[in-house]
Amino acid sequence: MPDVEHYTCLGCPMGCPLELVHEGDEIIEVSGHRCTRGTKYARQEFVAPQRNLSTTVAIHGARWARLPVKVVQPLPKERVMEVARIIHALRVEAPVEMGQVLLEDVLGLPGAAVVATRSMERLPDASG
Amino acid sequence: MMGRMEGRYDVVVIGGGPAGMAAAVGARDAGAGRVLILDREPEPGGILLQCIHSGFGLHYFREELTGPEYAQRFLEKVVDTDVDVLPGAYVSALAVDSDGDKQVRVMSETHGVSSVAARAVVMAMGCRERTRAAIRIPGDRPAGIYTAGLAQKLVNQMGYLPGRRIAILGSGDIGLIMARRLALEGAEVVGVFELMPYSNGLARNIVQCLDDYGIPLHLSTTVSFVHGRERVEKITVAPVDDHLQLIPSRAWDVPCDTLLVSIGLIPDNELAQRLAMRLDTNTGGPIVSSSLETSLPGVFACGNVLHVHDLVDYVTNESLLAGQFAGEWAQGVRRPVDNVRLVPGENVRYCLPHTLSPGRYHTLYMRAKTALQPCRIRVGNLLERTLPFVVPAEMITLKIRPDLLDSYQDDTLRIDIVPAEEGEPRA
Amino acid sequence: MHDVAIIGGGVVGCAIARELSRYKVRVVLIEAAAEVGFGVSKSNSGIIHAGHQSAPDTGKGRFDVRGNALFGQLADDLKFGFRRIGALVVARDREELPALQALQAQGEAKRVPDLEMWSANRLHREEPNLSHTLTGALYSPSAGVINPYECCFALAENAVANGVELRVESPVQRIERTPEGLLLHTPHERIPARFVLNCAGLYADKVAELVGLRDFTIRPRRGEEYLLDKRLQGLVRRIVYPLPTRLTKGILIIPTFDGTMMVGPTADDQDDRGDVRTTEAGSAQVFDAVRTLCPSISARDTIAEFAGLRPVASTNDFIIGPTAVKGFINVAGIQSPGLTAAPAIAEHVVEILRAEGLELVEDAAFEPSIAGPTRFAMLPLAEQQRLAARNPLFARMVCRCELVTEAEVHEAIDHGARTLDGLKFRVRAGMGRCQGGFCTARCLELLSQRLERPLAAITKRGGDSWMVTGLASPQHPSAEEAGQP
Repeated sequence: MPDVEHYTCLGCPMGCPLELVHEGDEIIEVSGHRCTRGTKYARQEFVAPQRNLSTTVAIHGARWARLPVKVVQPLPKERVMEVARIIHALRVEAPVEMGQVLLEDVLGLPGAAVVATRSMERLPDASG
Repeated sequence: MMGRMEGRYDVVVIGGGPAGMAAAVGARDAGAGRVLILDREPEPGGILLQCIHSGFGLHYFREELTGPEYAQRFLEKVVDTDVDVLPGAYVSALAVDSDGDKQVRVMSETHGVSSVAARAVVMAMGCRERTRAAIRIPGDRPAGIYTAGLAQKLVNQMGYLPGRRIAILGSGDIGLIMARRLALEGAEVVGVFELMPYSNGLARNIVQCLDDYGIPLHLSTTVSFVHGRERVEKITVAPVDDHLQLIPSRAWDVPCDTLLVSIGLIPDNELAQRLAMRLDTNTGGPIVSSSLETSLPGVFACGNVLHVHDLVDYVTNESLLAGQFAGEWAQGVRRPVDNVRLVPGENVRYCLPHTLSPGRYHTLYMRAKTALQPCRIRVGNLLERTLPFVVPAEMITLKIRPDLLDSYQDDTLRIDIVPAEEGEPRA
Repeated sequence: MHDVAIIGGGVVGCAIARELSRYKVRVVLIEAAAEVGFGVSKSNSGIIHAGHQSAPDTGKGRFDVRGNALFGQLADDLKFGFRRIGALVVARDREELPALQALQAQGEAKRVPDLEMWSANRLHREEPNLSHTLTGALYSPSAGVINPYECCFALAENAVANGVELRVESPVQRIERTPEGLLLHTPHERIPARFVLNCAGLYADKVAELVGLRDFTIRPRRGEEYLLDKRLQGLVRRIVYPLPTRLTKGILIIPTFDGTMMVGPTADDQDDRGDVRTTEAGSAQVFDAVRTLCPSISARDTIAEFAGLRPVASTNDFIIGPTAVKGFINVAGIQSPGLTAAPAIAEHVVEILRAEGLELVEDAAFEPSIAGPTRFAMLPLAEQQRLAARNPLFARMVCRCELVTEAEVHEAIDHGARTLDGLKFRVRAGMGRCQGGFCTARCLELLSQRLERPLAAITKRGGDSWMVTGLASPQHPSAEEAGQP
């Protein structure tokens, strides 16, 4: 007897309402998507949900006190808070370039690099 | 060049957010020689700089970017296309010379109080948030009541929490995204309260911002009283009936030290009002032609100062067009005056632009008044389009071809959004 | 040892401080809140009454005509906004006309200048948006409007410039009698003084109790006021009062000094001295009453609302004079028309002090005026350019709704703003349409930098009204001083 799971696709702002039909662990059908991201998302969500993470870290010597960062690949959903805590413990010095890697393989997850999502100049009067 | 403002310009763009940057690029693409962006903030990029979450740029850059990335990439493009950008520059007035040129009064730390001449001007000043005062919540007047956008700036750029125990009124995207940000930064988000029976945010934000963090969403519920002498101590919330009237007998108290209000955005039209521009009471922005030109010739408008968008990509597309039209105007190109007025009909809160001309490509933007699924959009008797659903929170765009109005005789064209069964295609 | 300690930095305390600063006496002004004017005076209707509405044989009726007359010079000296826009007491039917005539007679007996009785025709010609059912009006051209908080700030600033010491966040907790006079205890210090003036507004009975006096009590009377959208600017040009009736104590239409229309206040007696809530019932009462005066005003036009408390004494009149405790002088129960009366009360209190034995020698160095705040947006272009060339911060906009520049914010902080509200009431940053949505963050930064206090220590209006707290995740150790240019 097949079961049905309902998801909202997080793949883009459209947020398609997805329906995934499965029998036990076996996925039978995905519907409701308007693009291929939808099927991929529903399958991933069924097997092991993932989320993107963006947050900020403390920066010294820049116009703002916080530098925005993101993890370049999705994280296992249940580990997002843990990763956030690790990122929040980081401290960086200006200047920083957009895309600059601040931490590799966070939590030992291969490829999960933390990068700056903007450049920040060093203020001329910032102390060492 | 960053920081430069000298001589006369073909196009001066007021505002350096996504709309202003795209308008400047659009103007250059259309052949305008000298283009200047005036931005009131110390650095261009607009509100994108505090929107550190991803979800921007899927259409324009074909990848999902965070707000700061989108802003920085676009700014690089702007500077590459030889546009001058003056940050920290506030436009206090705009005058039109007898020959139609504009004098833009600028206040800037580097240039003092001065004027810069432009052939065409693009208004791209964005929007502002509605406040507690707009919905008149009774109660005390303590510290701890902020708009969601202010909280976003405090958290994401300045590194402060607006409070420790936070209630959010309004389930628009900013409210939802702030709920997640605050939870991620260690604050306790006690709930999101929404007057309407549906959320005004994107469906995916309900999932990834509330559900993922176990934050409750209370629909058809609003804040009826704020308590607290010095700082917010608690709020009283109550459900509302079908006519949005409070049901006080079912009210309950929610202890919290902060109330964030996220109850909608309105175009920042102070300058438009000072210029006595004609405004649309539904959008709160100026009335514009199919060239996105306001009632003041040679002054164009785009982005959230025109109407509030939900996706930055739509802002970018609209603003590229506005910039293009402004660039053409600056070079002496004049389009014929529109001869068809677009009128919002059934279940349409507003539609833009306000007028159309035959023989041109048009992108129509509109919002529904209520949710419908499935439904049909009817453009007069000229065009019908079926959509799986419409909701007020999501803007609808409709592209129409130049030949659509070729044999149209009427001077108004009505747009309706009707249930699908009523909208069977005509023969 | 101070000659005079004034407890309470409301408009009365500030006016007395400034009046005393004309003389060679040592004066200290002690305020419990974070800034002067933050109590009763801040949430006031801002009306300078002409004086015909209060009976001459009462304390309330004794000072208002003189106070009104003093305001012209005071506003010129202290650069706060004051405009004699005139007031109308309107009659809603024919039966009310004799009461108008009685008011006119009372006003003329008190020498209220230029009172005029207007026919219904005249009224509708001058104020075409008022209800056409009104049957007549008593016009008093000398009535005016001010921003009451600006007046307090300016009085205190001028007093301090002339040598008065100011203490804020200093609630007086205990008063000791000493052979030389009285000794005031605040959380921070002990202040000895020969004379103590009790100008403590809502808490005047509590302060009197500190010296054992229990001959009056103060009960707050809450009044809700509603500010209306700019759309209605100019709808009514003069202050409009109904005749007081048994049912309403008078809900007015007030074109404020800034041109915004305000309606209110309600009048609800209560015990709580801190409860300044606005309510749905209050709003309904105000707008129902106002509609009978001006039908085109609706609750939908509200852009801001607030409530204030009047300190109503158990005698229902001003309580001004020496007491059984030597050196302790009451200036209490100063409710409406207290704002109008304040400068005249100040003159009177100086005479009381003289009679009580304080030697008052005029100080030749007294400077009656202050420069007043720069209002950049109001200046002609050439002047703006000159200022911006001298100080580029005049070209840096902080509040775009009310057009307030960074230089003006600095100036306000240098002249005493310590809190976000103090800044708002001085320069109007945050009073406009966005209600601080855009400028609050910058105002917090500027207060923090200029006062050299951590940003999280900046409050809305003192006490526990904190604005922000640190992130749970750690800041960079030196992030606090990273600063913003």
